[in-house]
Amino acid sequence: MREPNAVDFWRGVALITIFINHIPGNVFQNYTYSQYGISDAAELFVFLAGWSIGIATRGRDGVPEPALRTVLRLLSRMVEVYRSQLVITAIALAMLAGAALYLDNPLLVEWHNAGPIFSDPIQATVGWVTLLHQLGFFNILPLYVVLLGLAPAFVLLSRVHLGLAIAISVALYAVSLVFEINIPSWPVEGHWFFNPLCWQLLLVLGFAAHEWRRSSERFLVWRRRLMPLGIVIVVVGAVLSWFNLRPDPLAVPEPRLLFIFDKSYLSPARLVHFLGVLLAFQAVFAMIQPRARWLTRQLAGLGRNSLAVFSVGSVASLGAQLVRFWTGGGFATDVFVVGCGLVSLSFTAWFVEWRSRSPRPSSAA
Amino acid sequence: MALSLPPALLGGVSLAMASCLALAQSSQVAPQGAPVQGPATTQAVPAPAAQPALAEIPALQATAPSPDAPDPSLSPECRVPGSKLYTLAKLKAVKKALREHRAVQVLTIGSNSGGIGTAATYPVRLEDALTRSLPDIEVTVESRGVSGEIAFGAAERLRNQVAEIEPDLVVWQVGGNDALARVDIEDFTQSLAETVAWIKSHGIDVVLVDPQYTASLAKDDYYRQFVQAIQKVAEREQVPLVQRYEAMRYLATRAISALKGDTAQAGAGFRLADLGYRCMAEHVTRAITVSLLQPDIVTPPVPVPAN
Repeated sequence: MREPNAVDFWRGVALITIFINHIPGNVFQNYTYSQYGISDAAELFVFLAGWSIGIATRGRDGVPEPALRTVLRLLSRMVEVYRSQLVITAIALAMLAGAALYLDNPLLVEWHNAGPIFSDPIQATVGWVTLLHQLGFFNILPLYVVLLGLAPAFVLLSRVHLGLAIAISVALYAVSLVFEINIPSWPVEGHWFFNPLCWQLLLVLGFAAHEWRRSSERFLVWRRRLMPLGIVIVVVGAVLSWFNLRPDPLAVPEPRLLFIFDKSYLSPARLVHFLGVLLAFQAVFAMIQPRARWLTRQLAGLGRNSLAVFSVGSVASLGAQLVRFWTGGGFATDVFVVGCGLVSLSFTAWFVEWRSRSPRPSSAA
Repeated sequence: MALSLPPALLGGVSLAMASCLALAQSSQVAPQGAPVQGPATTQAVPAPAAQPALAEIPALQATAPSPDAPDPSLSPECRVPGSKLYTLAKLKAVKKALREHRAVQVLTIGSNSGGIGTAATYPVRLEDALTRSLPDIEVTVESRGVSGEIAFGAAERLRNQVAEIEPDLVVWQVGGNDALARVDIEDFTQSLAETVAWIKSHGIDVVLVDPQYTASLAKDDYYRQFVQAIQKVAEREQVPLVQRYEAMRYLATRAISALKGDTAQAGAGFRLADLGYRCMAEHVTRAITVSLLQPDIVTPPVPVPAN
């Protein structure tokens, strides 16, 4: 297994943050960085996915792999993510229904948008399998599926000209923001929680940052020079978040999505804040690594196995919510459920790597 | 990048699963802090008060019902006395639209279930019911589900959805997610009050619908306090409230007496929840139409003569 690096480390941090934030009301939620800024771990996760695509689509010698291989690699990853989404959604539905039966509480089958799947199964089954109907907190992987579907186009374009790929990505982002274009949800009216047409920009920026880091000295210089600006942005974001200061969406001029803080459309304020976070925290891994090797090893282990860890985290966070509901919550419950969740994330990372080290069982087994 | 995941995923998931198993009548007429349990103390608007409003809005097909008898305008299976179904407040924006004879746009927030196996969803039923109650007026209903908790970000998303649609009226099934997540009631109340005040500040009416009743939660103190907190916000912010909890409790009691005390009938809670959804469009429509009968002129409350 590769040594801990900044990308895996930060992805591990994002995974734990997402896990904790997906147990609303738990006491540890107040200590995640999402509470102190305009953007949150979702941005970090998608940006790092773009960065990883940069790594994955080049050989060890740094030479871009053949185009067809890149396309197949990204599409096969897309299938893998889609499969994970189906598995975790099915498990989540069974957990909600099982808890509703066990606790004799029909409200539980309504939780997290699950209602239509039980009350209107014919349409909603088509909806959730086609990703048009998403359970609450189970909406990052559908975004990934679409982003991985778009990724080959951007990667191949970047081989023609990286600037061209970025320009097209920015244009798609801007048009979607201005005209409020998003994928509709179905059968329930509304839109996707994460709009892939906007969030693709972060993936492309992550990919581009990896490319620049490889080839451009100036990128490294400017990254360092802009660090104070990043710190200022982070401080401003913390103040806005702390005092709950945000634009009134009915008072801003059109096109309103340019001015409000909107997660679905990754509004510009969130994007700028996230870029500020990147600049501000760029040197942190190098500072932590020599001082807390156990911690960086653990977090990087999560990050290396992000899909499996994310999937288990999604199911574990729903389990934690059900336990909190059942027991009535409280500090001890929070310590227990978050503790169990973190152990299961860690175990998952270890288990995936153990499997890949171990000889495959024979088909006869 | 290329991990072979599914068996690993399932292994981890099993571990995770194993770990889991271990207005009261607007401000004018309402008594303060109507309790959730015990007899409902809210009352519907006295019928005479309705006359001026009716004169202003000729299209409105409604009369104020008697507060304590089951409301005959509701279909038999949904029949609940007004005092257990709603607390009222003015709906200025909708009334204005009616006076101007323009279309009324309604945004429903929350579940769109119209009951299991029903032909129409709740928003469609609501649109039909409102159109029947407000003939000559075009009513359009859009619906949005808001996932997540009001206390943690859902309120912000709701604001963005209201801004996207710019309706005359928001009918908001509120609190279900927060109550199940057992968020701090204070945090929830504050966020709810701020959001309701914000919607009203933009000249948009709000009708709140409180969470459902189910027998297994009847003795859950947190849940009852949660429902009460929503009533208090509705009262303080002067918005109509559909007391779904109270109405479903009434329907549950009626169903139990019809079954001659056979409370242990399997699946009763699920059937009641289904009935709750079947009745919601009717109940919401009733609360809206009776709220529209509220007079525009604010008069000091008339002391009720003691019996």
